[in-house]
Amino acid sequence: MTAFEASLRPGEIVLEHASRSFSARADRGRTLKEMLIGRTRAGGPPAVEALRDVSMHIQPGETVGMVGRNGAGKSSTLRVLAGIVPLNSGRVGCGGQVVSQLELGAGFGREFSGRENIFLNGALHGLQKEQIEARLDAIIEFSELGDFIDSPVATYSSGMFLRLGFSIAAHLDADVLLIDEVLAVGDEAFQRKCEARIAEQIAGGATLVLVSHDAALIERTCERLVVLDGGRKIFDGPVDEGMPFYHRLMGTADAVPPVACEPSGERVSPQ
Amino acid sequence: MAYRYLFEQMVRRELRQKYRGSALGVLWYLINPLVLMGAYYLMFGVIFDQASEPDYPLFLLVGLVVWVFFNQAVVSAAPSLLDQGALVRKARFPREIIPASVVTVQLVTFLALIALLAPVTIAFRGTLDVALLLLPLVLACLFAFILGIALAVSILHAYFRDVAPILSAALLPWFFISPIFFRPESITEQATARFVLEWVNPVAPFIGSVRDVIYGGIVPGGAELAYIVVAATVALVGGHALFRRLQGELAVVV
Repeated sequence: MTAFEASLRPGEIVLEHASRSFSARADRGRTLKEMLIGRTRAGGPPAVEALRDVSMHIQPGETVGMVGRNGAGKSSTLRVLAGIVPLNSGRVGCGGQVVSQLELGAGFGREFSGRENIFLNGALHGLQKEQIEARLDAIIEFSELGDFIDSPVATYSSGMFLRLGFSIAAHLDADVLLIDEVLAVGDEAFQRKCEARIAEQIAGGATLVLVSHDAALIERTCERLVVLDGGRKIFDGPVDEGMPFYHRLMGTADAVPPVACEPSGERVSPQ
Repeated sequence: MAYRYLFEQMVRRELRQKYRGSALGVLWYLINPLVLMGAYYLMFGVIFDQASEPDYPLFLLVGLVVWVFFNQAVVSAAPSLLDQGALVRKARFPREIIPASVVTVQLVTFLALIALLAPVTIAFRGTLDVALLLLPLVLACLFAFILGIALAVSILHAYFRDVAPILSAALLPWFFISPIFFRPESITEQATARFVLEWVNPVAPFIGSVRDVIYGGIVPGGAELAYIVVAATVALVGGHALFRRLQGELAVVV
Protein backbone atom coordinates (compact mmCIF):
# COMPACT_ATOMS: atom_id res chain seq x y z
CA MET A 1 0.00 0.00 0.00
CA THR A 2 1.35 3.39 -0.91
CA ALA A 3 1.56 6.27 1.55
CA PHE A 4 -1.08 8.02 -0.54
CA GLU A 5 -3.47 5.11 -0.11
CA ALA A 6 -2.79 4.98 3.61
CA SER A 7 -3.97 8.61 3.80
CA LEU A 8 -7.40 7.74 2.36
CA ARG A 9 -10.40 6.71 4.40
CA PRO A 10 -11.58 3.12 3.99
CA GLY A 11 -13.82 3.06 0.94
CA GLU A 12 -12.56 6.34 -0.49
CA ILE A 13 -11.38 6.32 -4.12
CA VAL A 14 -9.31 9.02 -5.75
CA LEU A 15 -8.30 9.21 -9.38
CA GLU A 16 -6.46 12.38 -10.39
CA HIS A 17 -5.58 13.26 -13.98
CA ALA A 18 -5.10 9.61 -14.73
CA SER A 19 -3.72 8.66 -18.12
CA ARG A 20 -2.71 5.29 -19.41
CA SER A 21 -1.97 3.92 -22.85
CA PHE A 22 -1.33 0.42 -24.08
CA SER A 23 0.73 -0.84 -26.96
CA ALA A 24 -1.51 -2.63 -29.42
CA ARG A 25 1.14 -5.04 -30.61
CA ALA A 26 0.65 -8.74 -30.14
CA ASP A 27 4.09 -9.36 -28.68
CA ARG A 28 4.18 -6.85 -25.92
CA GLY A 29 7.38 -8.06 -24.36
CA ARG A 30 10.54 -6.60 -25.83
CA THR A 31 13.19 -8.90 -27.16
CA LEU A 32 16.68 -8.85 -25.85
CA LYS A 33 17.94 -7.65 -29.21
CA GLU A 34 15.80 -4.53 -28.94
CA MET A 35 17.08 -3.87 -25.47
CA LEU A 36 20.69 -4.31 -26.54
CA ILE A 37 20.47 -2.10 -29.59
CA GLY A 38 18.35 0.29 -27.58
CA ARG A 39 15.36 0.85 -29.77
CA THR A 40 11.96 -0.58 -30.37
CA ARG A 41 10.38 -1.54 -33.63
CA ALA A 42 8.80 1.33 -35.46
CA GLY A 43 5.49 0.99 -37.22
CA GLY A 44 2.59 -1.17 -36.21
CA PRO A 45 -0.61 0.20 -34.76
CA PRO A 46 -0.27 3.23 -32.52
CA ALA A 47 -0.66 2.91 -28.76
CA VAL A 48 -4.23 2.82 -27.50
CA GLU A 49 -4.98 5.56 -25.04
CA ALA A 50 -7.27 3.79 -22.62
CA LEU A 51 -7.50 6.61 -20.10
CA ARG A 52 -7.00 10.27 -20.90
CA ASP A 53 -6.80 12.64 -17.99
CA VAL A 54 -9.60 11.03 -16.00
CA SER A 55 -10.31 12.38 -12.54
CA MET A 56 -12.91 11.30 -10.03
CA HIS A 57 -13.31 11.35 -6.29
CA ILE A 58 -15.59 8.72 -4.81
CA GLN A 59 -16.67 8.96 -1.19
CA PRO A 60 -16.98 5.93 1.09
CA GLY A 61 -20.36 4.28 0.61
CA GLU A 62 -21.03 5.70 -2.85
CA THR A 63 -22.35 3.46 -5.60
CA VAL A 64 -20.96 4.29 -9.00
CA GLY A 65 -21.90 2.73 -12.30
CA MET A 66 -19.50 3.03 -15.18
CA VAL A 67 -20.75 2.78 -18.75
CA GLY A 68 -19.52 3.43 -22.25
CA ARG A 69 -18.91 1.76 -25.55
CA ASN A 70 -16.60 -1.22 -25.93
CA GLY A 71 -13.10 0.14 -25.66
CA ALA A 72 -14.15 3.30 -23.85
CA GLY A 73 -11.74 2.56 -20.99
CA LYS A 74 -14.09 1.05 -18.42
CA SER A 75 -12.14 -2.11 -17.73
CA SER A 76 -8.84 -0.25 -17.84
CA THR A 77 -10.17 2.15 -15.22
CA LEU A 78 -11.10 -0.76 -12.99
CA ARG A 79 -7.71 -2.39 -13.44
CA VAL A 80 -6.07 0.91 -12.54
CA LEU A 81 -8.30 1.30 -9.47
CA ALA A 82 -7.50 -2.27 -8.46
CA GLY A 83 -3.81 -1.40 -8.54
CA ILE A 84 -3.02 -4.03 -11.15
CA VAL A 85 -1.98 -1.68 -13.93
CA PRO A 86 0.05 1.46 -13.12
CA LEU A 87 -0.68 4.87 -14.62
CA ASN A 88 1.53 6.67 -17.12
CA SER A 89 0.68 9.89 -15.35
CA GLY A 90 -1.65 11.08 -12.62
CA ARG A 91 -2.38 9.31 -9.40
CA VAL A 92 -4.76 6.72 -8.02
CA GLY A 93 -5.66 5.31 -4.66
CA CYS A 94 -8.32 3.24 -2.93
CA GLY A 95 -8.62 3.22 0.84
CA GLY A 96 -9.11 0.03 2.83
CA GLN A 97 -9.63 -3.51 1.59
CA VAL A 98 -10.15 -3.55 -2.16
CA VAL A 99 -11.89 -6.56 -3.62
CA SER A 100 -11.88 -6.70 -7.39
CA GLN A 101 -14.10 -9.03 -9.34
CA LEU A 102 -12.62 -8.52 -12.75
CA GLU A 103 -12.94 -12.13 -13.74
CA LEU A 104 -14.51 -14.57 -11.37
CA GLY A 105 -12.42 -17.56 -10.58
CA ALA A 106 -9.27 -16.07 -12.10
CA GLY A 107 -6.35 -18.03 -10.83
CA PHE A 108 -8.34 -21.01 -9.69
CA GLY A 109 -6.15 -24.10 -9.77
CA ARG A 110 -8.25 -26.43 -11.84
CA GLU A 111 -6.84 -29.58 -10.26
CA PHE A 112 -7.67 -28.33 -6.78
CA SER A 113 -10.94 -28.67 -4.96
CA GLY A 114 -13.33 -25.80 -4.46
CA ARG A 115 -12.39 -25.71 -0.80
CA GLU A 116 -8.67 -25.44 -1.57
CA ASN A 117 -9.35 -22.67 -4.04
CA ILE A 118 -11.25 -20.71 -1.40
CA PHE A 119 -8.08 -20.66 0.68
CA LEU A 120 -5.89 -19.65 -2.24
CA ASN A 121 -8.26 -16.90 -3.33
CA GLY A 122 -8.61 -15.54 0.19
CA ALA A 123 -4.83 -15.53 0.50
CA LEU A 124 -4.57 -13.58 -2.75
CA HIS A 125 -6.51 -10.80 -1.03
CA GLY A 126 -4.08 -10.80 1.87
CA LEU A 127 -6.18 -12.83 4.30
CA GLN A 128 -4.62 -15.21 6.80
CA LYS A 129 -5.66 -18.80 7.31
CA GLU A 130 -7.80 -18.11 10.39
CA GLN A 131 -9.65 -15.29 8.64
CA ILE A 132 -10.50 -17.56 5.74
CA GLU A 133 -11.56 -20.40 8.02
CA ALA A 134 -13.93 -18.02 9.77
CA ARG A 135 -15.66 -17.30 6.44
CA LEU A 136 -15.46 -20.79 4.97
CA ASP A 137 -18.93 -21.99 5.91
CA ALA A 138 -20.62 -18.81 4.73
CA ILE A 139 -18.81 -19.00 1.39
CA ILE A 140 -19.68 -22.65 0.82
CA GLU A 141 -23.29 -22.09 1.80
CA PHE A 142 -23.61 -19.06 -0.44
CA SER A 143 -22.12 -20.90 -3.41
CA GLU A 144 -24.76 -23.66 -3.11
CA LEU A 145 -22.11 -26.14 -4.20
CA GLY A 146 -22.84 -28.58 -1.40
CA ASP A 147 -20.69 -31.69 -1.59
CA PHE A 148 -19.08 -30.54 -4.83
CA ILE A 149 -16.95 -28.19 -2.74
CA ASP A 150 -14.48 -31.04 -2.28
CA SER A 151 -14.34 -31.94 -5.98
CA PRO A 152 -11.69 -30.46 -8.26
CA VAL A 153 -13.00 -27.29 -9.91
CA ALA A 154 -12.06 -28.83 -13.28
CA THR A 155 -15.19 -30.93 -12.86
CA TYR A 156 -17.43 -27.89 -12.29
CA SER A 157 -19.85 -26.51 -14.81
CA SER A 158 -19.12 -22.92 -15.80
CA GLY A 159 -22.03 -21.79 -13.63
CA MET A 160 -20.62 -23.57 -10.58
CA PHE A 161 -17.21 -22.10 -11.28
CA LEU A 162 -18.56 -18.55 -11.38
CA ARG A 163 -20.76 -19.11 -8.35
CA LEU A 164 -17.76 -20.14 -6.30
CA GLY A 165 -15.76 -17.18 -7.58
CA PHE A 166 -18.50 -14.75 -6.64
CA SER A 167 -19.10 -16.34 -3.26
CA ILE A 168 -15.46 -15.93 -2.30
CA ALA A 169 -15.24 -12.32 -3.45
CA ALA A 170 -18.52 -11.49 -1.71
CA HIS A 171 -17.21 -12.58 1.68
CA LEU A 172 -13.92 -10.72 1.88
CA ASP A 173 -15.17 -7.70 3.85
CA ALA A 174 -14.55 -5.25 1.05
CA ASP A 175 -14.32 -1.52 1.68
CA VAL A 176 -14.16 -1.04 -2.06
CA LEU A 177 -15.88 -3.40 -4.49
CA LEU A 178 -14.78 -3.26 -8.10
CA ILE A 179 -17.03 -5.34 -10.31
CA ASP A 180 -16.62 -5.83 -14.04
CA GLU A 181 -19.63 -7.26 -15.82
CA VAL A 182 -19.60 -10.44 -13.81
CA LEU A 183 -23.03 -10.37 -12.27
CA ALA A 184 -24.52 -12.57 -14.95
CA VAL A 185 -23.65 -15.45 -12.70
CA GLY A 186 -25.58 -18.65 -12.71
CA ASP A 187 -29.34 -18.76 -12.97
CA GLU A 188 -31.74 -15.96 -12.27
CA ALA A 189 -32.22 -16.95 -8.64
CA PHE A 190 -28.50 -16.83 -8.01
CA GLN A 191 -28.19 -13.50 -9.80
CA ARG A 192 -30.81 -12.06 -7.50
CA LYS A 193 -28.90 -13.44 -4.56
CA CYS A 194 -25.70 -11.79 -5.82
CA GLU A 195 -27.41 -8.43 -6.13
CA ALA A 196 -28.84 -8.81 -2.64
CA ARG A 197 -25.40 -9.66 -1.29
CA ILE A 198 -23.89 -6.58 -2.95
CA ALA A 199 -26.70 -4.42 -1.54
CA GLU A 200 -25.93 -5.88 1.88
CA GLN A 201 -22.27 -4.92 1.56
CA ILE A 202 -23.22 -1.40 0.43
CA ALA A 203 -25.56 -1.08 3.40
CA GLY A 204 -22.58 -2.07 5.50
CA GLY A 205 -20.67 0.93 4.17
CA ALA A 206 -18.81 -0.50 1.17
CA THR A 207 -18.13 1.58 -1.92
CA LEU A 208 -19.16 0.07 -5.24
CA VAL A 209 -17.80 0.68 -8.71
CA LEU A 210 -19.74 -1.39 -11.21
CA VAL A 211 -19.00 -1.72 -14.91
CA SER A 212 -21.87 -3.11 -16.91
CA HIS A 213 -23.74 -2.83 -20.17
CA ASP A 214 -26.92 -3.70 -18.31
CA ALA A 215 -28.55 -0.28 -17.85
CA ALA A 216 -31.34 -1.68 -15.68
CA LEU A 217 -28.85 -3.30 -13.32
CA ILE A 218 -26.95 -0.03 -12.96
CA GLU A 219 -30.14 1.90 -12.33
CA ARG A 220 -31.12 -0.58 -9.62
CA THR A 221 -27.70 -0.62 -7.92
CA CYS A 222 -26.03 2.73 -8.45
CA GLU A 223 -26.75 6.33 -7.51
CA ARG A 224 -23.97 7.90 -9.52
CA LEU A 225 -23.04 7.33 -13.12
CA VAL A 226 -19.78 7.87 -14.97
CA VAL A 227 -19.84 7.73 -18.75
CA LEU A 228 -16.55 7.11 -20.50
CA ASP A 229 -15.86 7.59 -24.18
CA GLY A 230 -12.53 7.19 -25.94
CA GLY A 231 -10.74 7.14 -22.61
CA ARG A 232 -12.27 10.41 -21.42
CA LYS A 233 -14.88 11.01 -18.79
CA ILE A 234 -17.78 12.70 -20.54
CA PHE A 235 -20.39 12.55 -17.79
CA ASP A 236 -20.27 12.24 -14.03
CA GLY A 237 -23.44 12.77 -12.06
CA PRO A 238 -26.67 11.27 -10.72
CA VAL A 239 -27.72 8.13 -12.51
CA ASP A 240 -31.18 9.46 -13.45
CA GLU A 241 -29.56 12.29 -15.40
CA GLY A 242 -26.76 10.16 -16.74
CA MET A 243 -28.79 7.35 -18.24
CA PRO A 244 -30.62 9.52 -20.79
CA PHE A 245 -27.28 11.05 -21.69
CA TYR A 246 -25.76 7.58 -22.12
CA HIS A 247 -28.66 6.38 -24.23
CA ARG A 248 -28.35 9.43 -26.46
CA LEU A 249 -24.64 8.70 -26.81
CA MET A 250 -25.23 5.13 -27.78
CA GLY A 251 -28.21 5.85 -30.00
CA THR A 252 -26.94 8.80 -31.95
CA ALA A 253 -23.29 8.81 -31.10
CA ASP A 254 -22.21 11.06 -33.95
CA ALA A 255 -24.80 13.70 -33.18
CA VAL A 256 -23.70 14.20 -29.60
CA PRO A 257 -21.92 17.51 -29.26
CA PRO A 258 -18.79 17.59 -27.12
CA VAL A 259 -20.18 17.87 -23.61
CA ALA A 260 -18.56 19.79 -20.85
CA CYS A 261 -17.02 17.43 -18.38
CA GLU A 262 -18.43 19.15 -15.33
CA PRO A 263 -22.17 18.54 -15.25
CA SER A 264 -24.17 18.84 -12.10
CA GLY A 265 -23.22 16.33 -9.52
CA GLU A 266 -19.57 16.48 -10.51
CA ARG A 267 -17.54 15.91 -7.41
CA VAL A 268 -14.01 16.23 -8.60
CA SER A 269 -12.60 19.13 -6.71
CA PRO A 270 -10.86 21.66 -8.94
CA GLN A 271 -7.12 21.13 -8.92
CA MET B 1 3.62 -9.64 6.14
CA ALA B 2 -0.04 -9.72 5.22
CA TYR B 3 0.72 -12.12 2.39
CA ARG B 4 2.56 -14.73 4.45
CA TYR B 5 -0.32 -17.15 4.04
CA LEU B 6 -0.46 -16.56 0.29
CA PHE B 7 3.20 -17.56 0.10
CA GLU B 8 2.41 -20.74 2.03
CA GLN B 9 -0.48 -21.50 -0.31
CA MET B 10 1.61 -20.89 -3.41
CA VAL B 11 4.36 -23.21 -2.17
CA ARG B 12 1.82 -25.90 -1.45
CA ARG B 13 0.16 -25.43 -4.79
CA GLU B 14 3.48 -25.52 -6.63
CA LEU B 15 4.48 -28.70 -4.80
CA ARG B 16 1.29 -30.52 -5.56
CA GLN B 17 0.26 -29.15 -8.91
CA LYS B 18 3.12 -30.37 -11.05
CA TYR B 19 2.80 -34.04 -10.32
CA ARG B 20 -0.84 -34.14 -9.32
CA GLY B 21 -2.48 -37.36 -10.43
CA SER B 22 0.82 -39.15 -10.97
CA ALA B 23 1.28 -42.30 -8.93
CA LEU B 24 4.45 -41.15 -7.19
CA GLY B 25 3.33 -37.55 -6.72
CA VAL B 26 5.82 -35.29 -4.97
CA LEU B 27 8.37 -38.12 -4.88
CA TRP B 28 9.19 -37.11 -8.45
CA TYR B 29 10.87 -34.05 -7.03
CA LEU B 30 13.40 -36.40 -5.44
CA ILE B 31 13.53 -39.06 -8.13
CA ASN B 32 14.64 -36.71 -10.91
CA PRO B 33 17.75 -35.41 -9.15
CA LEU B 34 18.53 -38.89 -7.84
CA VAL B 35 18.43 -40.32 -11.36
CA LEU B 36 20.54 -37.43 -12.63
CA MET B 37 23.06 -38.02 -9.86
CA GLY B 38 23.09 -41.75 -10.61
CA ALA B 39 23.77 -41.07 -14.28
CA TYR B 40 26.63 -38.70 -13.55
CA TYR B 41 28.09 -41.06 -11.03
CA LEU B 42 28.01 -43.84 -13.64
CA MET B 43 29.57 -41.55 -16.21
CA PHE B 44 32.33 -39.93 -14.21
CA GLY B 45 32.70 -42.22 -11.22
CA VAL B 46 32.72 -45.56 -13.01
CA ILE B 47 33.17 -45.25 -16.79
CA PHE B 48 35.62 -42.34 -16.89
CA ASP B 49 36.99 -42.95 -13.44
CA GLN B 50 39.23 -40.02 -12.58
CA ALA B 51 39.11 -40.92 -8.90
CA SER B 52 41.57 -38.28 -7.79
CA GLU B 53 39.47 -37.84 -4.67
CA PRO B 54 38.83 -40.41 -1.98
CA ASP B 55 35.28 -41.75 -1.91
CA TYR B 56 34.80 -40.12 -5.27
CA PRO B 57 31.06 -40.84 -5.57
CA LEU B 58 30.42 -38.88 -2.40
CA PHE B 59 32.70 -36.06 -3.55
CA LEU B 60 30.72 -35.87 -6.75
CA LEU B 61 27.26 -36.17 -5.24
CA VAL B 62 27.78 -33.44 -2.65
CA GLY B 63 28.80 -31.03 -5.40
CA LEU B 64 26.08 -32.20 -7.72
CA VAL B 65 23.28 -31.71 -5.22
CA VAL B 66 24.22 -28.03 -4.85
CA TRP B 67 24.30 -27.58 -8.61
CA VAL B 68 20.97 -29.33 -9.10
CA PHE B 69 19.36 -26.94 -6.60
CA PHE B 70 20.79 -23.92 -8.42
CA ASN B 71 19.93 -25.27 -11.85
CA GLN B 72 16.39 -26.42 -11.08
CA ALA B 73 15.49 -23.29 -9.14
CA VAL B 74 16.66 -20.90 -11.84
CA VAL B 75 15.18 -22.90 -14.71
CA SER B 76 11.77 -23.21 -13.09
CA ALA B 77 11.72 -19.61 -11.82
CA ALA B 78 12.35 -18.12 -15.27
CA PRO B 79 8.89 -18.79 -16.77
CA SER B 80 7.05 -18.71 -13.42
CA LEU B 81 5.54 -15.22 -13.80
CA LEU B 82 4.20 -16.11 -17.24
CA ASP B 83 2.85 -19.42 -15.95
CA GLN B 84 0.92 -17.56 -13.27
CA GLY B 85 -0.25 -14.87 -15.69
CA ALA B 86 -3.89 -15.35 -14.71
CA LEU B 87 -3.08 -14.29 -11.15
CA VAL B 88 -0.81 -11.44 -12.17
CA ARG B 89 -3.39 -9.95 -14.52
CA LYS B 90 -6.33 -10.19 -12.17
CA ALA B 91 -5.16 -9.59 -8.62
CA ARG B 92 -2.95 -7.27 -6.70
CA PHE B 93 -0.40 -8.95 -4.49
CA PRO B 94 3.39 -8.88 -4.11
CA ARG B 95 4.50 -10.66 -7.27
CA GLU B 96 7.80 -11.71 -5.70
CA ILE B 97 5.78 -14.47 -4.10
CA ILE B 98 5.59 -16.35 -7.41
CA PRO B 99 9.32 -16.90 -8.07
CA ALA B 100 9.98 -17.16 -4.33
CA SER B 101 7.54 -20.04 -4.00
CA VAL B 102 9.14 -21.85 -6.95
CA VAL B 103 12.58 -21.50 -5.37
CA THR B 104 11.23 -22.60 -2.00
CA VAL B 105 9.88 -25.81 -3.50
CA GLN B 106 13.35 -26.52 -4.89
CA LEU B 107 14.80 -25.69 -1.48
CA VAL B 108 12.60 -28.33 0.10
CA THR B 109 13.82 -30.87 -2.46
CA PHE B 110 17.41 -29.83 -1.88
CA LEU B 111 17.10 -30.12 1.90
CA ALA B 112 15.59 -33.59 1.50
CA LEU B 113 18.52 -34.64 -0.68
CA ILE B 114 21.01 -33.14 1.79
CA ALA B 115 19.26 -34.97 4.63
CA LEU B 116 19.80 -38.23 2.71
CA LEU B 117 23.30 -37.52 1.56
CA ALA B 118 24.96 -35.74 4.48
CA PRO B 119 24.64 -38.52 7.11
CA VAL B 120 25.89 -41.13 4.63
CA THR B 121 28.85 -38.96 3.65
CA ILE B 122 29.73 -38.08 7.21
CA ALA B 123 29.51 -41.70 8.34
CA PHE B 124 31.58 -43.01 5.41
CA ARG B 125 34.22 -40.34 5.60
CA GLY B 126 34.27 -39.92 9.36
CA THR B 127 33.94 -36.18 8.91
CA LEU B 128 31.75 -35.36 11.87
CA ASP B 129 33.25 -32.11 13.04
CA VAL B 130 32.22 -28.85 14.65
CA ALA B 131 32.57 -27.40 11.14
CA LEU B 132 29.15 -28.91 10.53
CA LEU B 133 27.72 -26.11 12.66
CA LEU B 134 28.49 -23.81 9.76
CA LEU B 135 26.17 -25.74 7.46
CA PRO B 136 23.03 -23.68 8.27
CA LEU B 137 24.89 -20.46 7.49
CA VAL B 138 26.25 -21.86 4.23
CA LEU B 139 22.84 -23.16 3.16
CA ALA B 140 21.14 -19.88 4.10
CA CYS B 141 23.62 -18.02 1.90
CA LEU B 142 23.04 -20.51 -0.91
CA PHE B 143 19.27 -20.01 -0.67
CA ALA B 144 19.57 -16.21 -0.62
CA PHE B 145 21.92 -16.29 -3.61
CA ILE B 146 19.62 -18.51 -5.64
CA LEU B 147 16.52 -16.53 -4.65
CA GLY B 148 18.16 -13.30 -5.80
CA ILE B 149 19.13 -14.82 -9.15
CA ALA B 150 15.64 -16.31 -9.54
CA LEU B 151 13.95 -12.94 -8.90
CA ALA B 152 16.12 -11.29 -11.53
CA VAL B 153 15.69 -14.06 -14.07
CA SER B 154 11.91 -14.31 -13.65
CA ILE B 155 11.25 -10.59 -14.07
CA LEU B 156 13.69 -10.29 -16.98
CA HIS B 157 12.09 -13.22 -18.74
CA ALA B 158 8.64 -11.64 -18.42
CA TYR B 159 9.86 -8.67 -20.47
CA PHE B 160 12.49 -10.29 -22.66
CA ARG B 161 11.44 -13.75 -23.70
CA ASP B 162 14.95 -14.64 -24.79
CA VAL B 163 16.12 -14.92 -21.19
CA ALA B 164 14.98 -18.48 -20.48
CA PRO B 165 16.42 -19.97 -23.70
CA ILE B 166 19.71 -18.15 -23.17
CA LEU B 167 19.77 -19.43 -19.63
CA SER B 168 19.18 -23.05 -20.56
CA ALA B 169 21.89 -22.78 -23.19
CA ALA B 170 24.32 -21.29 -20.68
CA LEU B 171 23.63 -23.73 -17.88
CA LEU B 172 25.17 -26.77 -19.60
CA PRO B 173 28.68 -25.33 -20.16
CA TRP B 174 28.38 -23.60 -16.80
CA PHE B 175 27.76 -27.00 -15.27
CA PHE B 176 30.93 -28.46 -16.79
CA ILE B 177 33.19 -25.63 -15.63
CA SER B 178 31.75 -25.75 -12.12
CA PRO B 179 33.90 -27.71 -9.67
CA ILE B 180 31.52 -30.64 -9.40
CA PHE B 181 33.62 -33.45 -10.85
CA PHE B 182 36.97 -31.98 -9.94
CA ARG B 183 38.81 -29.53 -7.78
CA PRO B 184 40.15 -26.60 -9.82
CA GLU B 185 43.64 -27.11 -8.38
CA SER B 186 43.76 -30.71 -9.54
CA ILE B 187 42.96 -30.02 -13.20
CA THR B 188 45.03 -26.93 -13.93
CA GLU B 189 48.39 -25.49 -12.91
CA GLN B 190 47.66 -22.17 -14.54
CA ALA B 191 46.90 -19.43 -12.02
CA THR B 192 44.47 -17.48 -14.21
CA ALA B 193 42.44 -20.53 -15.15
CA ARG B 194 42.31 -21.60 -11.53
CA PHE B 195 41.21 -18.15 -10.45
CA VAL B 196 38.42 -18.16 -13.01
CA LEU B 197 37.23 -21.62 -12.01
CA GLU B 198 37.34 -20.83 -8.31
CA TRP B 199 36.19 -17.24 -8.07
CA VAL B 200 34.66 -15.91 -11.27
CA ASN B 201 32.02 -18.61 -11.33
CA PRO B 202 29.81 -17.51 -8.40
CA VAL B 203 28.46 -21.01 -7.86
CA ALA B 204 31.94 -22.46 -7.24
CA PRO B 205 32.48 -21.07 -3.73
CA PHE B 206 29.06 -22.39 -2.68
CA ILE B 207 29.91 -25.86 -3.94
CA GLY B 208 33.30 -25.60 -2.24
CA SER B 209 31.83 -24.52 1.10
CA VAL B 210 29.14 -27.18 1.23
CA ARG B 211 31.71 -29.79 0.25
CA ASP B 212 34.23 -28.59 2.86
CA VAL B 213 31.67 -28.89 5.63
CA ILE B 214 30.03 -32.21 4.70
CA TYR B 215 32.63 -34.12 2.71
CA GLY B 216 35.82 -32.63 4.12
CA GLY B 217 34.79 -32.10 7.72
CA ILE B 218 36.68 -28.81 7.72
CA VAL B 219 35.80 -25.15 8.11
CA PRO B 220 35.74 -23.43 4.69
CA GLY B 221 38.45 -20.86 4.10
CA GLY B 222 37.83 -17.31 5.30
CA ALA B 223 37.90 -15.93 1.77
CA GLU B 224 35.39 -18.50 0.62
CA LEU B 225 33.02 -17.77 3.51
CA ALA B 226 33.31 -14.04 2.95
CA TYR B 227 32.65 -14.60 -0.76
CA ILE B 228 29.42 -16.54 -0.23
CA VAL B 229 28.08 -14.02 2.29
CA VAL B 230 28.79 -11.14 -0.09
CA ALA B 231 27.50 -13.03 -3.15
CA ALA B 232 24.28 -13.92 -1.33
CA THR B 233 23.74 -10.32 -0.22
CA VAL B 234 24.51 -8.81 -3.60
CA ALA B 235 22.33 -11.32 -5.47
CA LEU B 236 19.37 -10.92 -3.14
CA VAL B 237 19.48 -7.13 -2.83
CA GLY B 238 20.24 -6.64 -6.52
CA GLY B 239 17.70 -9.20 -7.72
CA HIS B 240 14.98 -7.74 -5.55
CA ALA B 241 15.76 -4.17 -6.58
CA LEU B 242 15.58 -5.18 -10.24
CA PHE B 243 12.30 -6.99 -9.63
CA ARG B 244 10.77 -3.95 -7.88
CA ARG B 245 11.93 -1.66 -10.65
CA LEU B 246 10.48 -3.70 -13.47
CA GLN B 247 7.40 -5.23 -11.92
CA GLY B 248 5.04 -2.29 -12.55
CA GLU B 249 4.06 -3.28 -16.08
CA LEU B 250 3.89 -6.98 -15.29
CA ALA B 251 0.11 -7.26 -15.67
CA VAL B 252 0.44 -5.77 -19.14
CA VAL B 253 3.29 -7.91 -20.46
CA VAL B 254 2.52 -11.38 -19.16
